[in-house]
Amino acid sequence: MLLLAKIGTGLLGTALIAGGIVSCQGFVHVRVTEKQENGMHLRLVLPAAAIPIALRLVPNGRLADATRNVRPWLPAIKAAASGLADSPDVPLVEVAGPAQHVSVVKSGDSIVVDVNDRKEIVHVSVPLATVRSAASVVAETGSVQ
Amino acid sequence: MKRLLVVLAVLSMAAAAWAAPAERYLHVRVDDPTSGQKVRVNIPLSLAASVIPAIDNGRLRDGKVEIGRFQANGVNVKQILEALKTAPDGEFVTVQEPGQNVRVAKKNGILIVHVTDTKHERQNVDVTVPWAVAEALASTSSQDQLNLEAAIQALEKAGDMTLVTVTGNRQTVRVWIDSNSTAAE
Repeated sequence: MLLLAKIGTGLLGTALIAGGIVSCQGFVHVRVTEKQENGMHLRLVLPAAAIPIALRLVPNGRLADATRNVRPWLPAIKAAASGLADSPDVPLVEVAGPAQHVSVVKSGDSIVVDVNDRKEIVHVSVPLATVRSAASVVAETGSVQ
Repeated sequence: MKRLLVVLAVLSMAAAAWAAPAERYLHVRVDDPTSGQKVRVNIPLSLAASVIPAIDNGRLRDGKVEIGRFQANGVNVKQILEALKTAPDGEFVTVQEPGQNVRVAKKNGILIVHVTDTKHERQNVDVTVPWAVAEALASTSSQDQLNLEAAIQALEKAGDMTLVTVTGNRQTVRVWIDSNSTAAE
């Protein structure tokens, strides 16, 4: 009985630590709502810590194009993510027209992109730390090739 | 003793917060009444100061933008900045061509550029830049470069002001700096 209690405590502790590690970087939120009848409603909440890990698992060949395009901008992306983390919350970009509304906002520790056009509503929120670590992974992927 | 330390800590934090300079923002506002399109961009200058030196792509490298033979409305920007560096306050450079007038002046520490273009569509461009910023822009050894990094650093010390206004038949553009995080006027 005592042994079972010890194992249970160990498992609970491990789960709590794992949960803490996973949630310490925050979460990536994605919401897509298609406006058409019977349109898709997608709602994703992913632990931000999993994004760089997932990127590492992608075969190098699959990331090659993305890496090639993004690579020249990686230092700027990293600097922007670090700079934004230090700056107060700010609506960075807002484009409003008769058919669409796009906004990019720095909110808390995240960058939030909202798009509302005739076809769909998209909401993406990504922790800035994830942007930095994902950029690092992409940079490493490029250097390996 | 503990209470005194807590009070001192709170006071020092308050003093630090009070002394910390307010974040400065570069705002861009574009209004197109014909299409109903509006664009608002608000960039913390500290962010621009950290991102611009990190860009090493295309014409922008090491915080400097390669202008090459870049000319604004037929006027070489770098040459004008160089010419005005030693010019006395208030002296104007005027370029008059069919369809466009360009007037450049240095007045009370501000570089003023006024362009009226009637060639394509009636358009007025007004640029007012603190002289320190203009000097920072020209502070490169190369004739073909403008030092954006130094200009952003100089802008951080400038007061609230409108830098650029473009008024055309179809669009109006305004670029300005202040301490508001939104593009509210």
